[in-house]
Amino acid sequence: MYSKELTSKKRDEFEDILEERRLSSDLRYAMKCYTPVIYKGLSPCKPNAIKSAVLQSEQVQYVIKQLAKEMGESPDIIQEEATEILDEMGHRMQLGAVRFFAFTLSKIFKQLFQRVCVNEEGMQRLQHAIQEHPVVLLPSHRSYVDFLMLSYLLYTYDLALPVIAAGIDFLGMKIVGELLRRAGAFFMRRSFGGNRLYWAVFAEYVKTMLRSGYAPIEFFLEGTRSRTAKTLTPKFGLLSIVMEPFFKREVFDTYLVPISISYERILEESLYAYELLGVPKPKESTSGLLKARRILSDNFGTIHIYVGQPVSLRTLASGRINRCPYNLVPRHLPQKPSEDIQEFVSDVAYKMELLQIENMVLSPWVLVAAVLLQNLPAMEFELLIEKTLWLKGLTQTFGGFIEWPDNLCAKKAVLSGLTLHSNIASLVDGHVVLNDKGMEDGAVGELVFRHALAVLMCATYRNQLLNVFVRPALVAVALQMAPSFRKEEVYSCFSFLRDVFSDEFIFFPGISLKDFEEGCFLLTKCDAIQTSQQEIYPTDKGSGTVSFLSAMFRPFVEGYQLIFRYLSKEMKEAFTEKQFIPAVRNFVFQLLEKGSTQCYEALSSDMQKNALSALVQLGAVKKKKMPNGLIYNVNQEAVSKILDMFDDSADAIPEHNEFLFPEYEILIEPEEPESPADNNEDEQGAEDTSKDAKEQEKLGAAGVADETFQSLDEETLEAMAKHETEEEKIFQMFKKQVAAEPEQIIRYCRGEGGPLWVSGENRPEEKDIPNCVCGAKRKFEFQIMPQLLNHLQVDSLGESIDWGTLVVYTCANSCGGANEYLEEFIWKQDYSMGCTI
Amino acid sequence: GDFVTLYSSLSGGCSQVGAGLSSQVTGSGWTSGRISVLKGLSDIEGYHTQGGGGVTIPEELLKWNGWGYNDSKFIFNKKGQAEFTGKRYRLGGMVLPTFKEWIEKTFGASLEHKTTSRASLNVNDVPPSIVNEEFLQDLRATKISYSQDAEDRVFRAHGHCLHEIFVLREGMFKRIPDIVVWPVCHEDVVKIVELACKHNLCIIPFGGGTSVSSALECPEEEKRMIISLDTSQMNRILWIDEKNLTACVEAGIVGQDLEKQLAESGFCTGHEPDSMEFSSLGGWVATRASGMKKNIYGNIEDLVIHIKMVTPRGIVEKNCQVPRMSTGPDIHHFIMGSEGTLGVVTEVTIKIRPVPEYQKYGSVVFPNFERGVACLREVAKQRCAPASIRLVDNAQFQFGHALKPQVASIFTSFLDGLKKFYITKFKGFDPNILCVATLLFEGDREKVLQHEKQVYDIATKFGGLAAGEDNGQRGYMLTFVIAYLRDLGLDYYVIGESFETSVPWDRVLDLCRNVKERIVRECKEKGVQFAPLSTCRVTQTYDAGACVYFYFAFNYRGISDPIHVYEQIERAAREEILANGGSLSHHHGVGKLRKRWMKESISDVGLGMLRSVKEYVDPNNIFGNKNLL
Repeated sequence: MYSKELTSKKRDEFEDILEERRLSSDLRYAMKCYTPVIYKGLSPCKPNAIKSAVLQSEQVQYVIKQLAKEMGESPDIIQEEATEILDEMGHRMQLGAVRFFAFTLSKIFKQLFQRVCVNEEGMQRLQHAIQEHPVVLLPSHRSYVDFLMLSYLLYTYDLALPVIAAGIDFLGMKIVGELLRRAGAFFMRRSFGGNRLYWAVFAEYVKTMLRSGYAPIEFFLEGTRSRTAKTLTPKFGLLSIVMEPFFKREVFDTYLVPISISYERILEESLYAYELLGVPKPKESTSGLLKARRILSDNFGTIHIYVGQPVSLRTLASGRINRCPYNLVPRHLPQKPSEDIQEFVSDVAYKMELLQIENMVLSPWVLVAAVLLQNLPAMEFELLIEKTLWLKGLTQTFGGFIEWPDNLCAKKAVLSGLTLHSNIASLVDGHVVLNDKGMEDGAVGELVFRHALAVLMCATYRNQLLNVFVRPALVAVALQMAPSFRKEEVYSCFSFLRDVFSDEFIFFPGISLKDFEEGCFLLTKCDAIQTSQQEIYPTDKGSGTVSFLSAMFRPFVEGYQLIFRYLSKEMKEAFTEKQFIPAVRNFVFQLLEKGSTQCYEALSSDMQKNALSALVQLGAVKKKKMPNGLIYNVNQEAVSKILDMFDDSADAIPEHNEFLFPEYEILIEPEEPESPADNNEDEQGAEDTSKDAKEQEKLGAAGVADETFQSLDEETLEAMAKHETEEEKIFQMFKKQVAAEPEQIIRYCRGEGGPLWVSGENRPEEKDIPNCVCGAKRKFEFQIMPQLLNHLQVDSLGESIDWGTLVVYTCANSCGGANEYLEEFIWKQDYSMGCTI
Repeated sequence: GDFVTLYSSLSGGCSQVGAGLSSQVTGSGWTSGRISVLKGLSDIEGYHTQGGGGVTIPEELLKWNGWGYNDSKFIFNKKGQAEFTGKRYRLGGMVLPTFKEWIEKTFGASLEHKTTSRASLNVNDVPPSIVNEEFLQDLRATKISYSQDAEDRVFRAHGHCLHEIFVLREGMFKRIPDIVVWPVCHEDVVKIVELACKHNLCIIPFGGGTSVSSALECPEEEKRMIISLDTSQMNRILWIDEKNLTACVEAGIVGQDLEKQLAESGFCTGHEPDSMEFSSLGGWVATRASGMKKNIYGNIEDLVIHIKMVTPRGIVEKNCQVPRMSTGPDIHHFIMGSEGTLGVVTEVTIKIRPVPEYQKYGSVVFPNFERGVACLREVAKQRCAPASIRLVDNAQFQFGHALKPQVASIFTSFLDGLKKFYITKFKGFDPNILCVATLLFEGDREKVLQHEKQVYDIATKFGGLAAGEDNGQRGYMLTFVIAYLRDLGLDYYVIGESFETSVPWDRVLDLCRNVKERIVRECKEKGVQFAPLSTCRVTQTYDAGACVYFYFAFNYRGISDPIHVYEQIERAAREEILANGGSLSHHHGVGKLRKRWMKESISDVGLGMLRSVKEYVDPNNIFGNKNLL
């Protein structure tokens, strides 16, 4: 499914189609000789002929007769109904309308966009494909501009205008709707599940268009515009319709063409953010579009359209669907696709979306947004540039398709991004901040709302990166979640995350292990992790990458936890989606107001829906179809269990990894024979018994920022070697003692024994240990072992903090009250020289 | 010499397992007469003759490494023009001026690039004969003729699949029969089967040798002595029952002899598979053969009244010769299509009809293949199909055109031009799209003319244009000649084969288009450098569907293992047929070539049913040709 040669994948060059438009007459362009190439087997026919062919088709007639029989109605009446449906739906392409569109769109696009870049080779491939077999165009869907742009593009390249399956909401836009229809669009109702006649007419219409090769069919796998810029999980209905003629062998083959349309700035960006926060979107109306002309004065940067390699459906199906399931039933009878076929359709849908993702262009701003969101509220400009540049490298390693203008220095790239997106973020006093300060004087609630709006808008851009990052990043998150670095455990965490986020991100069904390996491969490639036979662990220099990646996905981890928590605690009764969204939004909103969470993205209705649907898939929420819609029932226990999977470990991921060490649980066990018997009851007895000899301890070593990820230099290696040869007795003893439990990080033995020294040098004399403030002597209580450095992922010699052992001395009298902090004494012993307190 | 030059079968012959290359030709006219014992044959070791009947040596008259008679073949004469030799066929001795150009254009073949078959069989290459001496002693005692001669054995080691002919030309079979026996009657067969059972040997029945399903190939792993049971000497008509219009015939008789001998009494069977010159009655039964004129006379399963078969369990037959009986599943249907796996068919009672009073050929041009198929469907729907109706696609039309002999006079040439003008310019037919149907009517004159009118009226509704009697007749004549064409192709790096299927009416067009396209695409993928000839025709119509015949051929220059490539493509084409709702075979049979799809075709249980019959009838696998199951 995924190629290992991600970075070396050759991609086509882009060509700006607006450039020529700016240089020559739009009118002449619109009136140009338009003779699109057509399918080789095509016998030309008028839209009306198609309509009557659809109406007279065995398929539609069969359903009409069936319905007539069932409803006791005359077939003529139902036929009439079918005609109406067809009229409402059918396209009627007129060249005049096409030319009008070409002219108008030229004007509009030139206003809106700086450049519209297209891979010309892709267009040429498409041109060949159209002549060979019926073609289905599968563009990504981020904006209404998508299908306007695609039609415009095909016109520009003298290709047949596609027939578009677009939502019927457009029909609300009277004039534009009609124009669109004349330009070739056809329409489907958003939902027509129950209406058999509609389905039959619609399906037959699409198939007739396809079989005849009359024009390419275009629709959106995602079903609707993605409000978050993440690719939405695919819808299968239309795809299975367009695949059916091939399954029935009515056509030899069908080409599926994934098209990736990426916007440097999305036209509807703020609309989406409002929508996600539950402010209803304005209905598409002509007056709405006219108002939208306001945005014409704005600048929306560059659009990249990458027309992917046409994928032959026949090739995809070869070996998959062996025996044609349609052989034993007349082909015109409506037939529920077999499980095999359903699975195949779903696989193809995911494959196509992954292909879309692969060729989605990422602008520098996407990187900026990703960095910025991890460094709120403000980030130093220079640091932002530095991190952006670093992220660029990482993204390329992961196979991301970055369009970074030639030789453009990072600073300029970041600046130009900031200029284009000045509505989201701005540069203030050398710091980059989100523009959420619009209502500083407003109520707390409004502040939260403003901030959420800014975060969601910014997240829309970061999200473009997630599609590419999700596999390595989930490995990174799993690494931090898993109780150990053992491969199985990391994998099982990964697998869990993949299941939980199955609606959030696009995963090819059923290849969890492959995804895991892909993620590990990419992380290894960027030196972030190392793998051995049994283990996967982060490398020294990779810790930054790993924590960056997990921080990138933290909003999802945390957001899901919040939503799950809400479901497990608050949702006792059955509910509908309509009830769920505002309720959970309210819940999160309150937490944000209180400041008990920072996860603004949990306010997004998209995330809320995905989380709910993940629970449905995991079986923790039951979905029931009722006459008035879907009803959900939470199995609280099951949700809690899922939540535990996170809490066990994921909670331990610190808030801000740049400054905090990861969290761990410390297991305490008495050491066998040689060591003096531990007696720690006086200190921790109560907790030990209650927590079964386990102790939760937060190792918040704040402030030990470790920003250096360079590798070991030669000098250090030499020093290490030298040290090896000068192995001394004490170190031998140290090693022997430690060997009993090699992974120990702490040794506790109050009073008697004294620490286990790592070196003969630099041991404290009695005078070196100051008395406690209460006057009593301090005595040894516990020591921190160097192994801890591994876990803190700061174990690179010479670069990170380092110690041989840290010995802690505490007041012999155990002075001090119950709840106050006391100053204790710590002695740091290194392997060789140097001793500091 | 009409504009629309037609022809018919491109087939390498219908598939008769067992039908005999040994055309034991009797009667008048057609052949050079009865073949008699080779001079001095009895002196050569391995030949044993029996008093009375002589052993026929068909090798003398027939090609050892190609199709049909030695004296009939396509050649390029000194002027570089194509010519068909011999006097057996109407095309014999004629020059085909446009044929060379067609070959060059279609296949990118060139006369300069030639491969030649070796001239004769190299006896040293032939695998040695495995001999069971005890059996041989017993056999001698029966006085049944036999031979262990290498040429006789090789001759019966193959059918007419491309790879078999290729092996003959350039290699050697790994396993061939060890002995050939020539029983002359039912009782001889009983004796041979008994002996084979006694000594646990393998019998492979051999009739006309025109199989195109690898049915005659000996299983390589067969360790027992393999007996090729050649039925060619069982070729008599035992009786004719004019009251019931039936005839009892020995199963070894070859199609053309059967028709000729019956004709002497004024009768015919009307069963005319394209291979009828060489294939045998027993072979037809063993493969469920289909004849060109099945619309009037029926396919073999409709013609057969009674079958006598010798099996290791004994003889299977019925107690009466009736048109129909309700006595459980018809045991004839275990036999028909059993492809030599159960026993040897020795005698068959078959329906006969008076020879028709009047025959008339005809042809219709359609603007395109779709219209042609629609017309055939309508004809089938009205149940008014003539004795034969076939529709060839444009590529085959072009091909037929290329096989047009040199015109006799300026006048015909002029007429040609006129017709072409009329059809293409006046009627607006595109010569690169149009297709042609050929027709054959039979019966009493009045009815034939009436029938003819009915069919032409239907054709007119589908844009069809009558294209003359001559064209139709030529089309059917060419049926027999075209089988010779593959041998010519083989000389110029062109290999080809035909295959067939049956398919419901509504899928005919899709299937034809997809299979042809698949072939083109597979050729491209497999590195074939020139676009292949990939063409089809609808050869039979039924109430519920049609039989479609495909022909494909390509130039294999530049390919190191052409047979392998060819087989891959053929397999892909078959997959495509099955995916399009076509059958595994309409009449060629399964053999060993199409065995892999049997389970898919008739389900696990279905296969089990057939297996259980085989297990009961032949528990020791005496009939071990490994066909079908």
